[in-house]
Amino acid sequence: MASVEMRLPAVHKPVSPAASQSNRDDKHLVVPGDVITSDTGFMRGHGTYMDEDRLTASVAGEVERVNKLICVRPLKTRYNGEVGDVVIGRITEVQQKRWKVETNSRLDSVLLLSSVNLPGGELRRRSAQDELAMRDYLQEGDLISAEVQSIFSDGALSLHTRSLKYGKLGQGVLVLVSPSIVKRQKTHFHNLPCGASIILGNNGYVWLYPTPGHQDEEAGGYYTSMEPVSLADREVISRLRNCLLALAAHKVLLYDTSVLYCYEASLTHQIKDILKPEIMEEIILETRQRLVEHEG
Amino acid sequence: MLKSKTFVKKTRAGGVLKIVREHYLRDDIWCGSEVCKECKDEAPVLQEDACIESNLCSYPHYLIPDTNVLLHQIDILEHTLIRNVIILQTVLQEVRHRSAPVYKRIKDAIHEKEKHFYTFTNEHHRETFIEREPGESANDRNDRAIRVAAKWYADHLTKNTNGGSLKVVLLTDDRANKEKAEQYGLTVYRCEEYIKSLIGNPELVDRLALKPDDQNEIIGSKLLFPEHLPLSRIQSGIKNGGLLQGTFHANRDNYLEGTVFINREGEDINEVLLQGLQNLNRAVHQDVVAVELFPKERWVAPSSVVLQDDSPNDEDAEEDETENKLKGVPPDSSVLKPTGRVVGVIKRNWRPYCGMLSQSMIKEATRHLFTPADRRIPRIRIETRQAANLAGQRIMVAIDGWPKNSRYPNGHFVKNLGTAGDKETETEVLLLEHDVPHLPFSPAVLSFLPKMPWSITEEDMKVRADLRHLCVCSVDPPGCTDIDDALHCRELENGNLEVGVHIADVSHFIRPGNALDQEAASRGTTVYLCGKRIDMVPELLSSNLCSLRSNVERLAFSCIWEMNHNAEIIKTRFTKSVINSKASLTYAEAQMKIDDTTMNDDITKSLRGLNRLAKILKGRRTEKGALTLSSPEVRFHIDSETHDPIDLQTKELKETNSMVEEFMLLANISVAQKIYDEFSECALLRKHPSPPPSNYDILIKAAKSKDLDIHTDSAKALADSLNNATVRNFPYFNTLLRILATRCMMQAVYFCSGMDSDFHHYGLASPIYTHFTSPIRRYADIIVHRLLAVAINADSTYPELMDKHKQSSLCNNLNYRHKMAQYAQRASVAFHTQLFFKNKGIINEEGFILFVRKNAIIILIPKFGMEGTVFFENKDKPSPRLKFDSEGPTLEVEEHTFHMFDKVKVTISVDASNIQHQRIRMALIEPVIPGVSVPVPESEPVAKKAKLDC
Amino acid sequence: MAGLELLSDQGYRLDGRKATELRKVQARTSVFAQADGSAYLEQGNTKALAVVYGPHETRGSRSKSLHDRAVINCQFSMATFSTAERKRRPHGDRKSSEMSLHLKQTFEAAVLTELYPRSQIDIYVKILQADGGNYSACVNAATLALVDAGIPMRDYVCACTAGFVEDTPLADLCHAEESGGGTSLALALLPRSGNIALLQMDARLHQDHLDALIEAAMTACKGLSKVLDDVVRQHLEEVSVLTRD
Repeated sequence: MASVEMRLPAVHKPVSPAASQSNRDDKHLVVPGDVITSDTGFMRGHGTYMDEDRLTASVAGEVERVNKLICVRPLKTRYNGEVGDVVIGRITEVQQKRWKVETNSRLDSVLLLSSVNLPGGELRRRSAQDELAMRDYLQEGDLISAEVQSIFSDGALSLHTRSLKYGKLGQGVLVLVSPSIVKRQKTHFHNLPCGASIILGNNGYVWLYPTPGHQDEEAGGYYTSMEPVSLADREVISRLRNCLLALAAHKVLLYDTSVLYCYEASLTHQIKDILKPEIMEEIILETRQRLVEHEG
Repeated sequence: MLKSKTFVKKTRAGGVLKIVREHYLRDDIWCGSEVCKECKDEAPVLQEDACIESNLCSYPHYLIPDTNVLLHQIDILEHTLIRNVIILQTVLQEVRHRSAPVYKRIKDAIHEKEKHFYTFTNEHHRETFIEREPGESANDRNDRAIRVAAKWYADHLTKNTNGGSLKVVLLTDDRANKEKAEQYGLTVYRCEEYIKSLIGNPELVDRLALKPDDQNEIIGSKLLFPEHLPLSRIQSGIKNGGLLQGTFHANRDNYLEGTVFINREGEDINEVLLQGLQNLNRAVHQDVVAVELFPKERWVAPSSVVLQDDSPNDEDAEEDETENKLKGVPPDSSVLKPTGRVVGVIKRNWRPYCGMLSQSMIKEATRHLFTPADRRIPRIRIETRQAANLAGQRIMVAIDGWPKNSRYPNGHFVKNLGTAGDKETETEVLLLEHDVPHLPFSPAVLSFLPKMPWSITEEDMKVRADLRHLCVCSVDPPGCTDIDDALHCRELENGNLEVGVHIADVSHFIRPGNALDQEAASRGTTVYLCGKRIDMVPELLSSNLCSLRSNVERLAFSCIWEMNHNAEIIKTRFTKSVINSKASLTYAEAQMKIDDTTMNDDITKSLRGLNRLAKILKGRRTEKGALTLSSPEVRFHIDSETHDPIDLQTKELKETNSMVEEFMLLANISVAQKIYDEFSECALLRKHPSPPPSNYDILIKAAKSKDLDIHTDSAKALADSLNNATVRNFPYFNTLLRILATRCMMQAVYFCSGMDSDFHHYGLASPIYTHFTSPIRRYADIIVHRLLAVAINADSTYPELMDKHKQSSLCNNLNYRHKMAQYAQRASVAFHTQLFFKNKGIINEEGFILFVRKNAIIILIPKFGMEGTVFFENKDKPSPRLKFDSEGPTLEVEEHTFHMFDKVKVTISVDASNIQHQRIRMALIEPVIPGVSVPVPESEPVAKKAKLDC
Repeated sequence: MAGLELLSDQGYRLDGRKATELRKVQARTSVFAQADGSAYLEQGNTKALAVVYGPHETRGSRSKSLHDRAVINCQFSMATFSTAERKRRPHGDRKSSEMSLHLKQTFEAAVLTELYPRSQIDIYVKILQADGGNYSACVNAATLALVDAGIPMRDYVCACTAGFVEDTPLADLCHAEESGGGTSLALALLPRSGNIALLQMDARLHQDHLDALIEAAMTACKGLSKVLDDVVRQHLEEVSVLTRD
């Protein structure tokens, strides 16, 4: 019989006052209802509202000031898309000429039939035939990677998969983290040296999958490999998943290096142990140190 | 501020419920002592020099009584000598659960500044809170909590006085507790020990309640009473219907009989009869008891024997005889009542009782029997060393307990009221016995009186109708100083009549919620005794500012009708006003004015108009079935110097009496309608429920004996048949019938309209009624004034006025006070009657038989409006042959049969043989029954107090 | 047996608090990783868990969505073990539906819903242990959860109950005080502006007392807002220390 480990919740450790003190100096933290400024010379940005000429915060977070524009960035929020972002999403609905994709933003995103590559990379006007075949390409529940093409007036995102790197996702693991801890980078597709690949969606959805052996150009993004994945690959992916969760729990920004360092730091432990609080802490501490050294 | 650790207190209630409550512990609870520097108490209660001179503790000290001391020795703690006492919250809570009256008394003591009683909230203090340990009973925990708190105080005071002399003394009567406390290093005494050590106050010792372990000495080992059931069994018994719960009422005339009124709805039986000491089983009047019903075959009828417990000593043996006497009465087959026995007392309702000491036969004895003034209360055995001093004095005694092997309850002496028979003392006694608040008004109350000299201000004039020009006059009994109503009547231009009733505007002076208002609300009514008046409001208001005296400007609340000459109301108007009464008349003066045809001034014209309308109104009311009942009312002519009654006469009713009454009724009805329309939920009204038909049995039977029929199906039928019930050559018969009818009636009561649906006033035959016209002497009227003032936008409202629950509890108090005031009034009349006859000696009067009992007849003497009993049984003499027939009802004594309404002649005297209970004695003169009646006394009243052997 | 004495002469309540004192409030935000926002709050022995999802696409019938603002969807439930006597069903009874509706109304007043047209915000609250002031505990917990979810609000919403015993307003009633008779008033306040988001009272009270009672409830709400504020700032600092780079 497998032994089950149970533990009581650990005592919540407060941050040392010194750390929070130093923090207070360089960051302007506000909570909803806090007046940021009564000066009328500023422009109202996200996370703020005007309360009788006073610029007031509506969310809890850090004040960001860009020239005259004042925003408050909340700690945690739904994904606010920007054009060019890489996102991972799940098809929720198939409509006429478009798919609805759940991308962790406040409205479902739209993937127009005209914004996808047709199988085989054919370039032509989409016909009624294509509309009927939409469900053959992508159906409800499928995961895709895509890029934000534009933003509608109501805030919904329009996506496209007009590149071979985007498209339907096959075997792999989806990890959900807060969008705010995914670092914006030039590329969000990484083949990690440890033997797996990662797509760090800007929307906080992270996709882990075995590094494909050969790029199958012909599939055009709609081909999913059903070949069994080797145990070694699965172990690497599992370890990465736990590493990601550990990083997310400690609010470490996610990018290829941080993931990799964390992975390496975790190697001394069993996969299942990574999520134990004290081990997690140890791994994260090591990761942070290496990141600081790396930067320095 | 709230430095609290959350403790969780678990209590289990009922079956499986687990109740978790928070319990905050604080460190801002101060010790309340003047000496303490550490505690930031703003107004420390406990004095620095807390000296009670005692042999045991010569140093200043604070007392900490434990729960039992507080419960049993409250009389001592209330004494002015005892000051600087710390009442722990633990103790207070326990007291609260165990005895509501004691709780109230201790709270009063705490509020009294002079007493320096301080409540220490130890259960919430961080250092004195303790948790119940496993295996520790709740009581043990509480005892420990008391010890811990006492210890804390001891340490705290030592620390803050730098080892000074201030100490705390724990008082407990529990031996185990005392030992533990001593081990714990506390100064601890038994209550008795401590009180006895007090220097210069021997009378305090008498106040000590008897403790259970002392009682063994007092009484024999014979078990007289069955054991009471434990509370748990009583509760389960009540739940499953095996037992009934109710309030015990002792019979006034027969100490071996009582009734339990079951106050639960849905029970078929609402009265259970109890007979015999065993079955009464130590229940005292007003106790809440559990009774067990006997099977039907053991049910008995209430005996109509009059029995008094006046065996001279407290030997228990003699009782059997009287018991037998009771049993000797043959069971009356027709009217068996549910009978049962008391199996347990759920709640004692003991209060201190007034009465007198019956001295023990043995001179040096310290245990004596005390006879309460209230005949429903059994005699009480007390222990006192000052018996000699207390002989002939009225004293107050509290009951401590009634062990099952004692014939009488045990009690202790509380207070000496004065010499018995003394007018002041007796008045005091009857006020105390009837719970009439009669202390002088406190300074706090008086502070809310208007400042003198008082006059009507401009603002008052602005908001009030100016009616000073009207020819208003008041009509009252002679010597009346609190005039609360005045009237006027004038012809209007359109030929109609304008009639105004002006009532003193007391609510202008008594503002809601202040001390004056609260005092008035608690007194409820002015109590009129013979030669004494206990005011509801201070005299300045009652006899001056609110009294509508003639030729002064007074504030009034007026109810003004426009009527046609047939006394039909065309318009009603209510307004606050200013009036100037033109004359204060007596009934007789007013009557003279009306009758004297030569007088034609405004006042007389006004009076004549009123009189005419009143007659029409009265006729109309009688038509609707209003009852005219009669009760003999007596007035004493009081000697102006000695204040002793020198003559007494029944009150006379003049036409003007009913004239005033008629308009008061009309005003009351109009106001009732108005406030009910305006406040359907919280109007204070007065109702008079129609009596259940069975109440009339005695009346119907009585009328039958004279071959007359009385119909009781409606008020109208009753009124008519009463009017027709006359017997030739017997003019007083009708009055007698009406007196009887009065006794059939229910009590009229105040109620809140939101809490009841039956508003009918039976006696007045009005669908709605209230009291509006006497705010000086009745608090209900003040409330009605306020309601009406709000209804006409003359005043603002306040929360209590609109709260029907508060209103209803106020009504309960008012009803209670009214009832008590009536009883007190009657008692006062009775006392003065005694005084009167004591002075006059034996007189020889004519009377009528009002009731016939098994062994006695009750006689009414019209001349004095007085009732008395003639007994036909006597201890010293062989009883005459008696035969009682409940159908008549008649009583055959030897050869003579007594019927109701028979005319008899009796002698009246005061039986002073027993100074504890002086009473009017009547003895039969006519008809002459050998061996029963007495000879006609000599025409010259005997100067010395004759003692009749009757 | 005499009933409970809700307020002693010395001014202490059953549990040792004074009339204006609140119960001990403890709270934590971000207790769940999956939800957008979550919070756990204890107000004395009343324990509430609030979870917020959204804003997200309106699920279920599309007709519910509003074109100019977000829909707030609240669901109140009580754990079956939350009361002394076990409850039959955790939600869906009349009282729970009413409570859900009240919560919805409360938060519609505070959340800047117009920023999220056609969206929906789900607020789920569960009472884990009930000891009086369920509504207020729910509101306070939900406020924390909303802040945690980064949903824009005008201000915190703080709620507190107040009762009226012996002419004294009592703040933050516990169960014994609520059931001990007398009036109980629940008030939700936007503390900074002093605007009232919801006011509810079932029993009768004379209007002269109402002001005093509301005043007491408002003071209590302001006290509570301080506690919530501390919780949020504490959390904010902790997180921003971690994400500092």
